[in-house]
Amino acid sequence: MKKLFFLFLFSNITSSELILEITQGTEDPYRVAIVKFDGDMDIANNLDQIIKNNLVRTGEFAIFDNEDLLSIPKDENEIVFNDFKILNIDYLIIGNVLSDKSNITAEYKVFDIKRGSKVRSSTVYGIPNKNRQLAHYISDGIYEEITGIKGVASTKVLYITEDDYYKLVVADADGKNEQTLLESTEPIISPAWSPDSKKVAYVSFETGMAKVFVQDIASGKRELVIQNSTQISSPSWSPDGKFLSLTMYQDGNAEIYILNLKNRNLTRLTKHYAIDTESTWSPKGAKIMFTSGRSGSPQLYEIDLRKSNATPKRITFEGNYNAKGSYLPNNEGIVFVHRADTSFQIALKYFDESFIRPLTTSQLDESPSISPNGNVIVYAIKDEGMGLLSGVTLSGAKFRLPATEGAVREPAWSGFLR
Amino acid sequence: MFILRNKLNFLVVVIFIASCSSMNVTEENVYSADVSTVKVSSSKSENINYDSKAVFANATVYFDFDKSTLTSKSIQTLKSAVNALNDNSAIQITLSGHADERGTREYNLALGQRRAEAVSDYLTLNGISKNRITVKSYGEEKPAVYGQDEMSYSKNRRVEIN
Repeated sequence: MKKLFFLFLFSNITSSELILEITQGTEDPYRVAIVKFDGDMDIANNLDQIIKNNLVRTGEFAIFDNEDLLSIPKDENEIVFNDFKILNIDYLIIGNVLSDKSNITAEYKVFDIKRGSKVRSSTVYGIPNKNRQLAHYISDGIYEEITGIKGVASTKVLYITEDDYYKLVVADADGKNEQTLLESTEPIISPAWSPDSKKVAYVSFETGMAKVFVQDIASGKRELVIQNSTQISSPSWSPDGKFLSLTMYQDGNAEIYILNLKNRNLTRLTKHYAIDTESTWSPKGAKIMFTSGRSGSPQLYEIDLRKSNATPKRITFEGNYNAKGSYLPNNEGIVFVHRADTSFQIALKYFDESFIRPLTTSQLDESPSISPNGNVIVYAIKDEGMGLLSGVTLSGAKFRLPATEGAVREPAWSGFLR
Repeated sequence: MFILRNKLNFLVVVIFIASCSSMNVTEENVYSADVSTVKVSSSKSENINYDSKAVFANATVYFDFDKSTLTSKSIQTLKSAVNALNDNSAIQITLSGHADERGTREYNLALGQRRAEAVSDYLTLNGISKNRITVKSYGEEKPAVYGQDEMSYSKNRRVEIN
């Protein structure tokens, strides 16, 4: 019997950063016991908390911790498989952490309870005082072992905050460890990761007009990519990182161009009196999808870059507002903003289906960004006028990353970093 | 002897693979990237210069949802702006287009630009030189009014002339 599984996670996080809240889990989650790691108690507690948060947030796991278990094995030899079988547990994780001033190392093992055997033995060499990243690596190893899919706990998310200043912020995928890349007195919009996740392109209004900048994350070195008098916006990197598609208002109207980042040549892609913007590249770079108003309402179109003078092909037909599309990493479909009656929602359309699947249900959902493993979509919502980030997994789980300070919007998910 | 050793190695490898066929062994180093913070403040002040006579042409015109066509009310407003511009030939103006928060940010940026262009077209058709006009858009980034209702939205779908 299938049942909807609701999970509520109450964590004692005291920081003022984004706080994680799982609002709904998936059906039939993996039942996983995580024994608190052996070794330094403070670090072990810290890792335990972060790993559980990461796995629960995927919506695919029901976690059992020390208090829920019949026996607490510290070592492989102490495991009594029946104690876990009775609780219908699928997998057991045990581990330990070794640390001194200059090194921190975590070892963990994954056991398949039904088979009664060890399926993974891993060592992660961490960086002292960067326990969060260590915990994210462990989470991703566990996730990958159990689901067969690469985890995204060790990836990053960019977003924009507005408080006293506009800020472009980078944080861990769980919303923690926030670091500011850019602080400005003027709006910042449309952040986009370079494919190697070392640079970010965005639109800044600091010159008094929308302009596209590229900034190196590590050094902070930044560059105005095109120096002319027109408004420029909506940057998107080609998968090979050699090109940037963007929207230029050369003749007063929004048209899409491709900028060669090496020789700075500009190639015009669209030519229509209606709005053409929000370009994005297909996973292998063969196509560009964009939003166009040419039918009389915003709809998504595709251009095949392999054909010369290819005409844009309309790909959305349901409703009168479909915009800001992104391709699933496996190129099996697209995610976009869809207007249903009066509300704006995030929707999914698989190419082999003739209908769209609404993924969200609130009023003003926008800016969907897909995790590099294709399993999770993070997007911006408005709750009582306040901008927040929310997430939905393709398995149906939902979570929120509510901000405690300022409005948060326009999330952009990095590639794999691990 | 040499051949025998090789065979033995082969055997050892096979046993290792067999015993590990259902077990993954991994080792990895955590990577943590540096992040630098950059602070910028607007290099150009807003083109609102209350000491100049541009204030005579200051006005705001409003639009319908997802539309950039001028309403009859807007045209009344623009007629006064044309007169002010004709009376004060030194005035340079900026047309800033805006959208309400519904819909996507980049589409709204383009929509704000279309609205500002529509106002620019009206002014130039009525004899105002294009050289006196700067056109730009803020999309939904600078709402005049905060609020999630049609009353607020209608005040945000605008072009400011100043």
